[in-house]
Amino acid sequence: MNMELSRRSFMLGAGAGLAGTSLGALGFGEIEAAHALSIRPFKLAQTKEVRSQCPYCAVCCGMMIFAAESKVEKGKMEVTHIEGDVDHPVNRGTLCPKGAGAIDYIKSKSRVKYPMYRKPGTNSFERVSWDFAMERIAKLMKEDRDANWVEKNRDGVTVNRWLTTAFLAGSSVANEGGWATFKVSRGLGLLQIENQARI
Amino acid sequence: MSRVDTTQPDPSVIGNIPIPPFARLPDPVQIFTDRSARFAALAEGHDLAPYLNFLSGLCGVQASIQDGLPDPAPIDAETLARAREHRMPPLDRVAFKADSAFEAAFQRLLDAAVGLEMPSPARAALLRVTAADAAGREAMLQNVLAEAIPFEAVAEHIFVAAALQVHFARLAARLDDKSLQSVGDGVCPCCGSAPTSTAIVNWRRAPGTRFCACSLCGTMWNYVRSKCTLCGSTRKILFQEIEGVGNIKAETCDDCHGYMKIFNQQKDDRLDPVADDVASLGLDLLVRELGFRRGGINPFLIGY
Repeated sequence: MNMELSRRSFMLGAGAGLAGTSLGALGFGEIEAAHALSIRPFKLAQTKEVRSQCPYCAVCCGMMIFAAESKVEKGKMEVTHIEGDVDHPVNRGTLCPKGAGAIDYIKSKSRVKYPMYRKPGTNSFERVSWDFAMERIAKLMKEDRDANWVEKNRDGVTVNRWLTTAFLAGSSVANEGGWATFKVSRGLGLLQIENQARI
Repeated sequence: MSRVDTTQPDPSVIGNIPIPPFARLPDPVQIFTDRSARFAALAEGHDLAPYLNFLSGLCGVQASIQDGLPDPAPIDAETLARAREHRMPPLDRVAFKADSAFEAAFQRLLDAAVGLEMPSPARAALLRVTAADAAGREAMLQNVLAEAIPFEAVAEHIFVAAALQVHFARLAARLDDKSLQSVGDGVCPCCGSAPTSTAIVNWRRAPGTRFCACSLCGTMWNYVRSKCTLCGSTRKILFQEIEGVGNIKAETCDDCHGYMKIFNQQKDDRLDPVADDVASLGLDLLVRELGFRRGGINPFLIGY
């Protein structure tokens, strides 16, 4: 129940303290002031609740991701808990055991956060740039496609296909992502496209 | 007759996951009885104990005066149909006119409040309301409904607001909860008021969902979590809590610079949207320092 804001700020600014409140008007001003003083030493902790969706399967359950200020790195938020999003029409707050354990997936030491590359002949991965990774993948795809392109089948019918490479796509992409996936892969002549969307 | 089963599929039945009800209407006696008990429980060892005890008494009065109170006039079918058609709340707080049922409730509340223990400024205010003529009472009524309380007469309006809460809770209780629909973000589907606070409820049919508690009629309505109740934005929501408390948070929005309290009843099911709002005044004081404006409407916390 707000009074005119300018007036209230004026009263606060003018050193009138907590005048004009329910407590003050009813004659509880003293305890109100004492309470305001006693609360001072307390600190606020900041948390966050963000919506996301489960990365695992094509059901795309809604997830609520909880974060709090990190105890290790000052000023950074850290995921503390994950649960099903109660407002999501698909799962209404529930998650399967895989989804419920998604926090371990986020915090896993072996989680891949950057494009990694293992050179031929070595036994370890090294971090590379996205440009390098994209270029390398494109080059290898082009080489393989040029070498194994099938223009006509045995009966001489034009087929224009590329059978030596398959395409593994994400299950939780939206319609637009799925459309782009198929436009690109079918356009290249790929036939083996796995979208993991069979639930 | 067709042999094809035309029943609409409802996959939620398979997993036995119920859909939360959109709104829960208040039980006009129970709501104030529980609140009174909660105020009394919160008062123990609290800095604001005398105030909380006074409010416990006032809420007790809100419950006790309803015994034998004449029923409010039912809302006519035409108004209900019009509200439904245009997505408006069926109880129109702007057009509210005091009828005999409200007058009776108001007078009973003023009479019963005399028996409460209260400081002299409060008693003087109560006397002023009792002595006010019809025009004076009408003016106070409209101030409360317009959420514009004059600076110099805050105390009087608290008693008026308490009487209005009783009347609107009784009106809301007589509506059909199935006929209610969303009328906008942060607006009560029964009476169009703003919420006092919100709660993550622990009801069997909707554990973990968030409900807004109406500041006027006490209706609880479902609202998406982590979304500003004041402006509807979901972009910059953060939660502030006093370190170590855990079940009472302020949901701040960096888009409208307002905040709304959120009580986690899954962690403590005694939390009352109004009583705990007053008792957690400390959180308001700290959050205000961050530059956020209080969005919850509570007649017992005017001025914050």
